[in-house]
Amino acid sequence: MNDGGSVPALQFAGLTKRFGENVAVDHIDLVVPPGSFFGLVGPNGAGKTTSLSMAVGLLRPDAGTVTIFGRDVWADPVAAKALIGVLPDGLALPDRLSGREILLYLGLLRGMSREVVLQRADELLRVLELDGAEGTPVIDYSTGMRKKITLATALLHSPKLLVLDEPFEAVDPVSAATIRTILQRFVAAGGSVIFSSHVMPLVEQLCDHVAVIAKGKVLASGPLDEVRGGQPLEDAFVHIVGARAGGAEGLSWLAS
Amino acid sequence: MRRATSGRRWIGILLLALLVTLLAVTTLLAGLVHYRYPGAGADVVATLSLGWLLGWIAGPLLTGDDAALRMDYFKLLPIPARRLAHAMLGAAFANVSLVFSLIAFAALIALGARSGVAAALTGVVATALDLVLAVVASTVAVAAFGPTISSRRGRDFGTILLALTITLLSLASGLVPLIAKRLTDGHSPVLAAVVRILPSGWGAVAVDAAGRSDWGLVALALGGLAAAIGALVAAWPPLLARRLTMSARGGRQRAHVARTGEPVLPLTPLGAVIGKELRMYSRSVLRSVMLMISFLVGVLVGVLSALSGKTEGLPFAGLLFTVIAAACFTNFYGDDGTSLWLTLVVPGAERPDVRGRVWAWFLVVGPAGLLITVAFTAISGQTWAWPWVLAGEPAMIIGSAGLLALIGVVSVNGPDADGGPSPARVLKTHLALIVIPVVTMFPAAALLAAGAAGHSPALRWLAVPVGLAWAAWLGRYSLQQAQRRLQTQGPEIFARLRTSAS
Repeated sequence: MNDGGSVPALQFAGLTKRFGENVAVDHIDLVVPPGSFFGLVGPNGAGKTTSLSMAVGLLRPDAGTVTIFGRDVWADPVAAKALIGVLPDGLALPDRLSGREILLYLGLLRGMSREVVLQRADELLRVLELDGAEGTPVIDYSTGMRKKITLATALLHSPKLLVLDEPFEAVDPVSAATIRTILQRFVAAGGSVIFSSHVMPLVEQLCDHVAVIAKGKVLASGPLDEVRGGQPLEDAFVHIVGARAGGAEGLSWLAS
Repeated sequence: MRRATSGRRWIGILLLALLVTLLAVTTLLAGLVHYRYPGAGADVVATLSLGWLLGWIAGPLLTGDDAALRMDYFKLLPIPARRLAHAMLGAAFANVSLVFSLIAFAALIALGARSGVAAALTGVVATALDLVLAVVASTVAVAAFGPTISSRRGRDFGTILLALTITLLSLASGLVPLIAKRLTDGHSPVLAAVVRILPSGWGAVAVDAAGRSDWGLVALALGGLAAAIGALVAAWPPLLARRLTMSARGGRQRAHVARTGEPVLPLTPLGAVIGKELRMYSRSVLRSVMLMISFLVGVLVGVLSALSGKTEGLPFAGLLFTVIAAACFTNFYGDDGTSLWLTLVVPGAERPDVRGRVWAWFLVVGPAGLLITVAFTAISGQTWAWPWVLAGEPAMIIGSAGLLALIGVVSVNGPDADGGPSPARVLKTHLALIVIPVVTMFPAAALLAAGAAGHSPALRWLAVPVGLAWAAWLGRYSLQQAQRRLQTQGPEIFARLRTSAS
């Protein structure tokens, strides 16, 4: 599965995005090695979604480059986009269609043959336990089901890199376990994954590489053990971000 | 945003209350006035009662199960279905709409009072039975056909109900006097027979019979009403039980996909987009309502004026339908919200996406518009209109197919906070109603006008190929521009949708 051995699956170089005065992503440099399970962690508003949106062609950077297995997403979008599967957070789907209809639509849109699409759709719906909801339009799906059908759209064309924004947010434990297993199988088969999260134990359990970003900057990046330096990731994160876990002062009236 | 939304909801409710009051008083008056033709009063009241009964059944179905006591609340309570059924039926009578309906159905009493005390008393009984029938039928209809609660779907309904009310109101103002005229003249025995034979007409039949001292028919009609109510009450507990034990998915809209059948559309990216779009046309409430409004306004405006003897407007019904359908769909990308991301992450999908959307609109609107135009022009007998409509309609369909794609990518209005159309989107639709016909048809229109002024049939017929050629160029050019814009500005268009969604 690996393309060229050491060519990074995803590379940000000097990536920058401003929204008015606010610098959401500030000259980020980041390398996601091929075959890695990469966790992007950071507090809310750190720039995770902004960075990942620029990585998949949904948001145009003000400066810098994004390459996927050496292909520039913004200069050579067709080649780069063919290599990735995307799961964004909180975006709409054509929600009057059933899960199978969405997969068939997307497969044909990608130029795949109908037979291959239907066969893969069957397998994906079964493995993601959505086959019980065959005729249900996506508008009637629960949050967990929506995440799972979006994951199916990301996997359908057998990409080399998965870019997932908060794949476990608001997902029930059973669906989360299913998603986790599928991602682990994907990496074991040679695929690369980058996903954002703020659930540290989950990142610690799944990832071999991790980057900590805050206020639009990468504060630490590398193999998981290097970044956490022998302590739990949660403690390392608080230390790196320089934040102090609040909640200790005041509120003396609470439960008094 | 929330305040604006609830403000609009209040205006909607006020408008609706005003409208319903007007309708109720009108119905009552219909029972009071004198008719030249004997039995016409009963026909009119029977027709209006049918309208009220349909309102009782259709209202809750359209708006969703919006009663204060929603059935689904009781799913988890350990109450026997039969007891719950009777209690809920009782609670259904605590409904403010009953006041309006009482005024309306009292037309039966007014009708009876014209023939004496006995007929008036029959009217009282018939009014009571009609009211009970309305409430019971409405409750049972929701349990039998109503959507289960879903907040995402529920959002659709407020806006759409308002749009439908306004459209139907404007159309009813033309239709009702016409039906009333036919009934009161005694010119339409079939219509009169139909409205009398339906259960909603039995009250009027009873009152009419009482006026003629035909007591057998009075007993039969009132007994029939009571029996209809009895049958519905008996059917209610098992229906409720089925509704309450239904799984969350069981009652929802199914979105089947024909897996074994041969695919009709080409198995290409373009075919995929056309297929997806056609499914959205048939399943999205917003799209269906926009098509329905285009059709109702386009067709009924011509038909209504034709019924009163003026057939000059009839040939242009198809044009009116097409222009409204084009203006309503000038917000392709805005109406679909952030689902544009799917197109942007698929390499090279922008081109088939724009083209597929245009083709789907063309397939949905084009044949219908052409059919209406040709059929109505032929029926109208207005032979002078042929060059006008044959120059206008194809130009309108082909030209606006491309034009609405271009408008849709240049001006993107995301959905409002409550999922409905934003004020900017409504304004755009209104502007498009003027701009689209002017831009698509001006060369043809100029030739037609010149031909009419100079009495030149050759010039008038020349408008047909010129109109087509202009529309073909315009459609193609706009389509290419739309494609290019989505290819180069996709992320910027997406950013506007994302901002309006958050």
